Amino acid sequence: IPYIFGHNAISVFCICISDLFLHRRDFYKILGVTKSASIRDIKKAYRKLAMQLHPDRNPDDPKAQDKFADLGAAYEVLSDEEKRGQYDKYGEDGLKEGHHGSHNDIFSSFFGDFGFMFGGNRQQQDRNIPRGNDITFDLEVTLEEVYSGNFVEVVRNKPVAKEASGKRKCNCRQEMRTTQLGPGRFQMTQEMVCDECPNVKLVNEEKTLEVEIEQGVRDDMEYPFIGEGEPHIDGEPGDLRFRIKVLKHPVFERRGDDLYTNVTISLVEALVGFQMDIVHLDGHKVHIVRDKITKPGARMWKKGEGLPNFDNINIRGSLIITFDVEFPPTQLDEQQKDGE
Amino acid sequence: MEVMSAVPRLLWLLPPVLLLLFPACESRDPELSPVTCGSLLKLLNTRHNVRLHSHDVKYGSGSGQQSVTGVESADDANSYWHIRGKPKRPCQRGVAIKCGQSIRITHMKTGRNLHSHHFSSPLSNNQEVSAFGENGEGDDLDVWTVQCDGVHWERDEAVRFKHLGTDVFLSVTGEQYGHPIRGQREVHGMSSPNQHNWWKAMEGVFIQPSLEPLRHDEL
Repeated sequence: IPYIFGHNAISVFCICISDLFLHRRDFYKILGVTKSASIRDIKKAYRKLAMQLHPDRNPDDPKAQDKFADLGAAYEVLSDEEKRGQYDKYGEDGLKEGHHGSHNDIFSSFFGDFGFMFGGNRQQQDRNIPRGNDITFDLEVTLEEVYSGNFVEVVRNKPVAKEASGKRKCNCRQEMRTTQLGPGRFQMTQEMVCDECPNVKLVNEEKTLEVEIEQGVRDDMEYPFIGEGEPHIDGEPGDLRFRIKVLKHPVFERRGDDLYTNVTISLVEALVGFQMDIVHLDGHKVHIVRDKITKPGARMWKKGEGLPNFDNINIRGSLIITFDVEFPPTQLDEQQKDGE
Repeated sequence: MEVMSAVPRLLWLLPPVLLLLFPACESRDPELSPVTCGSLLKLLNTRHNVRLHSHDVKYGSGSGQQSVTGVESADDANSYWHIRGKPKRPCQRGVAIKCGQSIRITHMKTGRNLHSHHFSSPLSNNQEVSAFGENGEGDDLDVWTVQCDGVHWERDEAVRFKHLGTDVFLSVTGEQYGHPIRGQREVHGMSSPNQHNWWKAMEGVFIQPSLEPLRHDEL
C-alpha cells in the first residue's frame, strides 16, 4: 500500500512537470485515434495502451512515467465532451484549469483498485494476507456486441474499510499454552490469542467501472477488476470478475468464429434463382446472388462475413447460409396448376 | 415605508433560497439513478437493518429448500442478488426497472431464485421464503413485483417486493435463528404491507444504460 501512494505522487508530479514544459501535446496521436473517433473508440484505445504503457510493465524505460501520464491526460480530455470541444478549438492551452481526477482514478475504472497485475492475476506478495470474497458477475452480451465491441459502464458501490476511533481485536488465532502444574508435570491448553489493531469501520463508496466487451469475445471469458470485490477487515479486498455470457441470437447462430443462419426461399426462387440481402449484426447488408437451382438444405459460404477472431480481429470467420425451400401448403387449384 | 425596509431583508434571504432550489454542479448524480435490469445488489431491510442473504443451508422444516435469511454484516458476498426478468421474458441489460414490474431475484453464489410457497416459516409461522431452482431457472413461484411510488425503482428509495403467486410481501420481523446460523433473522412473507417490508438497494454492481441500442430489431 505505501507503494501505491508513492506511485500516485509520482504520476501527479509528472503531470505538473509536463504541464510546465509541454503545452502542445497531440492527444489524438497519443491515443492513436482519429479526430472523429467515437467515445467507444477512445475508451478502447486507452485500455489497450494503458496495459502496454504502465510503468510496471516498462521498468527499463526512463520515459515510461511521462508516456503514461500523457496517456492519462489524453483520455481525461478526449473522453469528456466539453473538454474535448475546448481542446479541438483552442488546443491544450485552451483547457480550463485543474485536472479533476488523478490518473489513478481513470486507470482503476478500467482495471480495478490495486494497480496493475500482470495477466490479471494477483501478485502473491504475501500469501498470509487474508482476502475478502471474490464476486463473479455473469455479464450477458448480445451477438451484436461480440461483432462490433462495446463498453459497459457500471457503478460499483462497495464497503471500504476506514479508520475509526479506538481499538479492536484482530488476527485472532488458537495457540497452545503450556502451564507447569508441578515439578516435571505440564499441562497444555488451547487458548484464543488476539492482537490489538486500530479500529476499522466499513463505509460505502462508489466509483464507475468500464467493462470492455472485446470483439470476438467468447463465452466464459473473464475480465477481472482487482480489489473491487468484497473487503476484508483484516486484509485485502477480493476481486470483481465479469464473466461473459453470450445470449442466443434470433437470427444468427455462433460456432466459433463462424455464423450460421437459415433463409427460406420460395419454390420458384429455388428453381430459377434469386437475389437478396441479409442484414448483418452491425446493419451492413450481405448481398446474395444465386442463378442455379437451389435444393432444400443447400449451403452457401460467405467468407469474411463471420465474427472477428478474438486474438486477431483482422481475421474473420465465415457466414454459412442454409436454404430451406417453402413448398405450397395445400393442394394447388386448377388456376395455379396452369401456371400462375 | 415599512415595505421599503422589508425588501432589503428579503433580498438577503434570496441567495440561500436560490442555492436550495438550484444546487450547484451537475444535474444528475450517478448515485441517484434507478436500479437496472442485470444489476447485482444487496437488499437492506430498513426496519431491522439486515441484508437479504442466502447460503448452502437448507430449512430443517417446511419445504426443506435452501434457506433465506437476514444478516447484519455488510461484507458477505452471499448477500448479493441478481435482478433479472421473468421466466422466458428476459429484461434488457441496463434498462431501469419500473415500479410494478415483475422480476426474479437470483442469488449470485448459488444460482437459486428468491421463492415463496404455501409452507410455514420455522420461527414465526408466516409464509416460508426460500431459494429455489438451478442456474437461475426455477418455476413461476420465483416471480416478485417491485412496488414503489413513482416511475422507476430508485436506488435511494425503499421499495416493497410482492410475491406474484401468493400475494405476500417479503418481510423481516426480527426472530433470530440459533446454531448453525446464529443471529441471522428469519425472512418470510407477510400478507399485509407494513413497516417490516421495506427494502433498499445498497452495495452492488449497478449496470448503467448503454448509449447505443444492443439490438437492431424492434421488440
